[in-house]
Amino acid sequence: MQKSSFLSAAIAVFSREARQELRRRTTVASVLFFALAALTLIAFSITTLAIAPADRSRLDSGMLWILLFFSAASGLPRSFVREEETGTALALRKVAAGETVLFGKLLFNYLLFLAICLAAVPALCLLQDWTIQRPAAFALALALAGYGVTMVSTFLSAIVSRAGQKDLLFVLTALPLLMPLLLPAVEATARAAAAAGDLSPYWKVLTAYDGLVTCGAFVLMGFVWEG
Amino acid sequence: MPQFEARSVAKSFGGPPIFRDVTLLADRGLVAVTGRNGSGKSTLLKIFAGLLRPSSGRVEISSGGAARPPDRCRRLVGWSSPEVEFFDELSGAENLHLLARAAGLPCREEDVRARLSQLGLQRAASRRIAEYSSGMKQRVRLAFSLLADPPILLWDEPFSNLDEDGTARGMAAVEERRSAGLVLIATNDRRDLSQPDAEVVLS
Repeated sequence: MQKSSFLSAAIAVFSREARQELRRRTTVASVLFFALAALTLIAFSITTLAIAPADRSRLDSGMLWILLFFSAASGLPRSFVREEETGTALALRKVAAGETVLFGKLLFNYLLFLAICLAAVPALCLLQDWTIQRPAAFALALALAGYGVTMVSTFLSAIVSRAGQKDLLFVLTALPLLMPLLLPAVEATARAAAAAGDLSPYWKVLTAYDGLVTCGAFVLMGFVWEG
Repeated sequence: MPQFEARSVAKSFGGPPIFRDVTLLADRGLVAVTGRNGSGKSTLLKIFAGLLRPSSGRVEISSGGAARPPDRCRRLVGWSSPEVEFFDELSGAENLHLLARAAGLPCREEDVRARLSQLGLQRAASRRIAEYSSGMKQRVRLAFSLLADPPILLWDEPFSNLDEDGTARGMAAVEERRSAGLVLIATNDRRDLSQPDAEVVLS
């Protein structure tokens, strides 16, 4: 398939996903509800603790990633699972190659992840009185690590969608796969927020992880999609 | 005209094969796929459509001097099955238009509406699929299979849930295509078939 037709087909998959979600609103609502519930719990528990200012940034960063990971885990796995459960995957499988579908759904899920960030980060900063010293570096860390989380979640969703015990299988496989990404992500956002130290090693790790999972997912997607 | 070729196709899902040694070589006409419940008619059509891999044997479509498996030439094969579902939140026209674009077809929404009109859904094209009856959904499935105007058409139980008008429109599409291409119909109801040119019987 040519580059332009691959892109336009992937954009069609994205539009199908987005239009459906705009009318259904179940994924966005469940993800945002989870994020809101987690933020409220954080606001009422952690803020009362006496924590040294030096540790605050790392704690807030850790909480942010817990919130982002579980919010994403409550919504992103649905992308392929819902298609299989409702029988709509067959029509899509008939017309489009796996790589096209993966790219279209990845695009939608990444925008959803960025939307969660847009809602969660200002809310957390407000509730925790958290000041981000280097906002551009902080945003870059979120964007790079968020891409990795989305890529892995979308691909795993395709794998588990045709298995039994989908939700359990997703969490059990996602966590070990995402650990090598989440640990440097927590550290990078903490350092960016506190303007502490050199961030270049983290950019290398996050970019390498993103590149690796992207290559792996696109190479394997044909086998997953066509069975 | 593309040549459809299936040689010694067999399929099993771990146990004994549900069918074996299915061979078909055709480029036009109407082919009936018949057999009792569970004989594998729907499975065979999925293999022919490139949605399932055969356990043994091969399926190829020759076109323009190249022979390719059906999942490598999706636009040449239209497929409809009662198992196909569409997004409830979108209209019939939206569902088909987005699927056509995902297939890489240079297809405008007007073209999709024309296809739906062919199946008698012109007035329902903008309504959400959730509001469709089972017969209307079946018409959308048939329209879906015709989107790319494919020379090879695989229809699994095409007239189930259809009223007289829907059946007549479906039959008309079959008659229109059997002289210019290949139509395979899997069915338990012989009334669905108007004098097939060949028959594949699964036992």
